[in-house]
Amino acid sequence: MTMSRAMPASLVLAILALLVLSPMAGLLHLSALPGYEAVDPRFWENAYLRRVVFFSLWQALLSTLLSVLPAILVARAFAMQPQLPLRRLLLGLFALPLVVPAVVVVMAVVSVYGSNGWLPLGRSLYGINGILLAHVFFNLPLAVRLLLPQWQAIPQHHWQLGEQLGMNTWQRFRFIEWPMLRESVPGVSLLIFMLCLTSFAVVLTLGGGPRSTTVEVAIYQSLRFDFDPAQAVVLALLQLGLCMLVAMLTLKLQRMPAVEIALSIAYRHRALRLRWFDLGIILLATLYVGMPLTSLLIDALRGPLGQTLGDLRLWQALANTLFIGLSAALLSVTAGWFLLQYSASLAEQGHSRRARLVDLAGSIVYVVPPLVIGTGMFVLLAPHVDVFDWVYPIVIAINALMGLPFVIRCLGPAMRQNHARYHRLCQALALRGWHRFRHLEWPLLRRPLGLAIALVAVLAMGDLGVIALFGSTQSATLALMIYQQLGAYLVAQASVTAVLLLLLCLGVFALLERCIGGSRDAKN
Amino acid sequence: MLKIEALEFSYPSVPASTMHFDLTVDVGEVLSLIGPSGSGKSTLLSLIAGFLPASGGRILVDDEPLHNLPVAERPVSIVFQQHNLFPHLDLYTNVALGIEPSLRLAPIQVEAVRGALARLGLEPMQRRKPGELSGGQRQRVALARALVRQRKILLLDEAFAALGPALRAELIELVKTLVAEHDMCALLVSHQPSDASIASARSAFICEGRVAAIAATAQLLAQSEPPQLRDYLGSG
Repeated sequence: MTMSRAMPASLVLAILALLVLSPMAGLLHLSALPGYEAVDPRFWENAYLRRVVFFSLWQALLSTLLSVLPAILVARAFAMQPQLPLRRLLLGLFALPLVVPAVVVVMAVVSVYGSNGWLPLGRSLYGINGILLAHVFFNLPLAVRLLLPQWQAIPQHHWQLGEQLGMNTWQRFRFIEWPMLRESVPGVSLLIFMLCLTSFAVVLTLGGGPRSTTVEVAIYQSLRFDFDPAQAVVLALLQLGLCMLVAMLTLKLQRMPAVEIALSIAYRHRALRLRWFDLGIILLATLYVGMPLTSLLIDALRGPLGQTLGDLRLWQALANTLFIGLSAALLSVTAGWFLLQYSASLAEQGHSRRARLVDLAGSIVYVVPPLVIGTGMFVLLAPHVDVFDWVYPIVIAINALMGLPFVIRCLGPAMRQNHARYHRLCQALALRGWHRFRHLEWPLLRRPLGLAIALVAVLAMGDLGVIALFGSTQSATLALMIYQQLGAYLVAQASVTAVLLLLLCLGVFALLERCIGGSRDAKN
Repeated sequence: MLKIEALEFSYPSVPASTMHFDLTVDVGEVLSLIGPSGSGKSTLLSLIAGFLPASGGRILVDDEPLHNLPVAERPVSIVFQQHNLFPHLDLYTNVALGIEPSLRLAPIQVEAVRGALARLGLEPMQRRKPGELSGGQRQRVALARALVRQRKILLLDEAFAALGPALRAELIELVKTLVAEHDMCALLVSHQPSDASIASARSAFICEGRVAAIAATAQLLAQSEPPQLRDYLGSG
């Protein structure tokens, strides 16, 4: 059985290696050629490079602090208010930024904080301010969703003891909540730091020129605007080094909560003034997350709807978006399925270290940012083919790769559990292949499978990294089209396109999750 | 003396079935509460501790009503089956929290903590964390904390259920001694009728949210009424 699982998994691993290692090898090879100064130790004397690296780290650090610190307050407020009316709906709103494309968030931020917005920041929006506003919009809700279940893990008896021992709010936090939080805050912070460090669309659109450029965006600018592959190679290697450093730290400190999280908590006593404090915190966070999307929606409804929707290029872009998103999701889930099947059977046989390595291989994109892979492919393929003709396979493959960690995280625990519980029974009943899938795996795994496909599809549909590198007017997706409209100062049209992309992502997410995952009430 | 008079409570999910309790516990007495799962034993302890709000009736300690007092002000200490200790704090700190959650202790309070740990045979391990202790040792620490709190009522909610028979008997004897030494009243919830035999001269059988029978323990365990008691004891 393990052999039959090893074959497809090995094929997936080989393709992964090809996709990741060959561009890397290409970059490294190029960096050794004359004129490419990646190996020149004096490259650090380049003021531009220093500034870009410093800004990348600085904005990631500020974004992390501004996301995680308030998220602790918001998650605590939610945890302390289990009976809050509309709690489920509000937590649903906090899940929204996970599926909203970055470029839509940019439009939403511009809609509120731009010159004509409700809280205008004027020109100072472009630069660090705008980047922070958008990053916090994404990551504050993510941190809340990751931290909230930590309160669930506190034994009910600890709350009761705290109450009986007469602990005040500070003492409860110190003795009961902080010991739990300090286990998970470093992992959550590093994850958010990494996301902000590799953030592309937000910095590309809201960054204000060379002063507010990150390494990720500088790579893109080197290739698309400066036509300087040498600088792109240096930057790509720098970004790789930074990401590997953060990834190693994350691995060391990580204690992340599982994806399947329970969001309810049983706790009652809370002084009235503290309840008002909790409600105030929740209200502020809800406004922060809800206001930009509402404002964007209003802008789009007031915008040139007919003119924008009548443009044939918009529908071509919509078709491209769907094609890329669905293809990447299918590819990613298929690859992830084979990897996880193999790692589950390895784990069941006691080879847990090897099983973990297989899982880690699937999450390689955490360490090697997709734009670095894209850059490597660009410099490898450019001398031989017109890379813009290869846009679909390249963009689909890299997006599928970007989705793999999500597939592994969503599907992995359920698949391992399934394997551990039923593998021997299946062997005894000679249940394998299609019959095993039909009677066992599909009914038990369709929920996480649906979630994984839906997540990868919307991620790929909203991606503005790889498509910006390889895309053209003909192959543009909606995300790229928004970027092009913004570049041409067609902000009103961009708002309409952004809302269309938002609705498309939400629709596709709901449809895939419902159709594949089945009804929420279904007892599998 | 602990006196419970017409104490009423119903869970919001099952409003139709109201629990109703009446009983008394004398100073120095350990009263055992036995009964099937879901009969209301732990609910009664939660009502006394103040974790659940009673909808009617009174709880009196030395004729002073306490049912309107907040949890922290009730003269009550409780020991659960598990999660009695904060895992990141050492034994000394876990016990000291019982006196003052700010941990700013006067020298006499420090002595009290050390004395309680010594009384329970835990002084040499006072800097250890709960994870380094056996189940029995952890429950001893919880008892030490109850001791330093100097509250009149001690509630034991299946506190020794996870321990083996010999250790259970040893800790129950320890509780009896402590209750007698400190003039406390104790309520011991247990699934094991044998625990009641060791712990209590008197026991109560709780069934369907009521005190269905209360008598000398040996007599209670031998009687055949009410029928639920017979079913519970399996002596039909």
